[in-house]
Parts: sequence; C-alpha cells; structure tokens
Amino acid sequence: MSLRLVLALAVAVTAALGAQTGNGSTRLGGRVPAAALPAIDSILAAAVAESLPTEPLVQKALEGSAKNIPADRLVNGVRRGFLQLRQARVIVSRAVPGQAPPEGHVAAVAAALARGLSGPVVERLLTVAPNEPPGPALHAAADLVAHHFDPDSAADLLVDAHNKGLRGVRLLDVAVAADHELQRPGGRTPSEALAHVRAMLPNVRPGRP
Amino acid sequence: MSPIDQRLQEALDGERDPGDLPTDLRESYALLSAAAQMLKAMPPVSVASRVMAEIRQNPAPVQSEGPARRLIRWLRGGRAVTVRLRPVWTLALAAGLATVLLLPWSDGLPTPGVAQGIAKFVGHFPGARSVEVVGSFNDWSRGALALNDDDHDGIWHADAVLPAGQHEYMFVVDGERWVPDPLADRYVDDGFGAGQQNSLLIVRPVSAQP
Repeated sequence: MSLRLVLALAVAVTAALGAQTGNGSTRLGGRVPAAALPAIDSILAAAVAESLPTEPLVQKALEGSAKNIPADRLVNGVRRGFLQLRQARVIVSRAVPGQAPPEGHVAAVAAALARGLSGPVVERLLTVAPNEPPGPALHAAADLVAHHFDPDSAADLLVDAHNKGLRGVRLLDVAVAADHELQRPGGRTPSEALAHVRAMLPNVRPGRP
Repeated sequence: MSPIDQRLQEALDGERDPGDLPTDLRESYALLSAAAQMLKAMPPVSVASRVMAEIRQNPAPVQSEGPARRLIRWLRGGRAVTVRLRPVWTLALAAGLATVLLLPWSDGLPTPGVAQGIAKFVGHFPGARSVEVVGSFNDWSRGALALNDDDHDGIWHADAVLPAGQHEYMFVVDGERWVPDPLADRYVDDGFGAGQQNSLLIVRPVSAQP
C-alpha cells in the first residue's frame, strides 16, 4: 500500500469521525457549560471510535445542562452513560454473534441496564429474538422487576410469550397483566400471578403504555 | 277512411247537377253543403284570441292576502331553480369536502405517522403558574411543550405526537422546579448522582395502540 493511499485513508477516517462527533458537539454548543464541553467532546469521540451510539450521550449532556447540573457531575453522568453503552455492546455481541452490534440494540440494552436489569437476564432475552428490536421485551422485563417479580421468572414468562407469538409492544401487555394479577383482590403471590398470566398466553389484554 | 262517392264529389265540385243524385246521396249533399256554408260564414279568429276573450269575460276573483300569507304561499310553492356551476369551483368544493370528511379529528394534533404515537401528559399542580414537559423528545429544551389548565382546577395537561419508543422526561413547574411525573408508569435514575429520577414514557406506535 503506498504512502499516499495510507494518508488518504487516514484523512478520510479522521473526517468521518469528525463529522460524527461534530454533529453531537454542534447540538451541545451554547447549551452545555463551557467547563464541561471538552470532557464531553472527548467522551463522544471515544464513543464514535468504539462504534457506540452517541445520541444517548448527547441527550444526557443536554439533560444535565437543562437541569443546571454542575459541570463535574454533568461529565460524570455522561461518562456513566458511556460505560453503560460499552457494557451493553459486550452483551449484544455475545447474544447476537457474527455481526456488528446494531446501535439500536446497544442503546436499548444500555437503557435496560440503567433500569436495573442484570446482564444475564438482558442477554437471555436478546438471544430469544436476536433480530427484533429488543426495547419492548427489555422494558417489559424491567417493569416486572420494578414490581418485585423475580428477574429470572419474569424472563421465563416473556420468553414463553415470545414463543406464543407475542411481539413488540404486546410484550409490555404481559407485564401489565402480571401486575394486574398481583394486585387482584384476594392476594396472589408473584409466582401465582406469573403462572396465571402464562396460562392466558397469548391472550393478554392490550393495554396503554 | 272510406272514399267519398264519386257522384257526390262531382256534385260538390259543381260538375254534376245535385238533382241527378240518388235520394241518399242527395241528403248527404245537403248536409255537406250546409256545413261548408257555415264555415264560410265564420270569421277567422285565432285560438289565443278566443282564450283571452274568454278570460276577460270571466276574470278570476282577486283575493286580498297579507304579507305573511303571501310569504307562506311563496315558501310552500314549488320553484324552478337554475344552478350554474363552474368546473373549477366544483372541483375545489369537492376537494374541501373530501378533506373535511377524510381527515381524522385530532384535537389540533397533527396526525401521527406510522412510527409515532400520541402521548398524554397530566399533572396535578394546584396553584402553579406554569407547567411544561421537558425531555429527550425535545432535546430537553425549555418552552417546547407547555401544559394547560384552562379551567384553573390545578390539573394541567397536554397531548403530543412523539416518535414511538422510550422517552425520559420531567415536568418543570413555574419555570424552576423540576419534578417527575407522579402518574408515570416508570422511573429511571437520571445518572447525575443525586438520586433524582426521570419519568419514563414508552410511546406505542398508533398502529399498536388499543
């Protein structure tokens, strides 16, 4: 490979990276405190270099700025988001091997981790439907865990629901149905509520988000 | 039509002496001749002249009606109406009607696209002077989506068309107080280390909304 070709490739890659980070930086300009901007810019550049989605980080920076979060905490918040994206990409790579981790999958998994789902539960749900947008299934699992259902049992129920044909936002209805069963007068235990919903599948009532 | 007897015809034309006719033809000759004389004696008057003369001799009685009775009679009576349409205005009218009939009523909201849904924000903030929603769907920009309390009962609300998917947001009350939506189904730590939570909304695409 000639020196000129190497230089041309280097310029092209640098320009491409600059264009991607520039997009985020442009949106941050004038809104993020000047004291935080260089650190955030470098986090965004690292995300681009690692092929991580930058939009969640831009949103976190805009959010912190709107809330007048001090610069150091603002940067820490964005950095925490970056680390979650990085962890999410590892999970996605394991669950969906043989292809570059889709940015949508990585962002959805990072959001699920932020909601408190464990890596193994996330990975299991991803493995069941590797080519479908994972957001609804992960949020359904996080909803169940937030309502004190056992995480593994919650994942079992969602896998059953998927195997019985429920897809996308219909999986959120499974979580809603389980919560309704739990709150039904007479008092069901969480495992009884999950068993009852499992017996209903796939006929859970469509509900509001 | 039965043909007239040749002898009678000749007599009527003056080519034969009527006295030479047989008795039955003589009677016919007498009748036809009398009819011809009567027609010659009548003056030539048109049908229209005769009708108008008859009307003048028998005028219709004039009824004295009040304005109300005349109006009622006018309203109840049939009227021939001629409508002249220009094709361009007709087409414009049809397009307008089709727009009104086909577009769904959406309370002033734009119609959501396939990958969009309608989000409803409601909060109880008695005494608040202003409430707005700030979140990832509007780049956390202030002033983008205000809630309204038109009847001043302290319940503020707003509807918005948003992209389907998850959105974090908070209410900003009176321009300075950030509070999570107390009616939200989900919350998530905002990640800035103070334990503050954002509300989490999952917007279903309109095609999936019940």
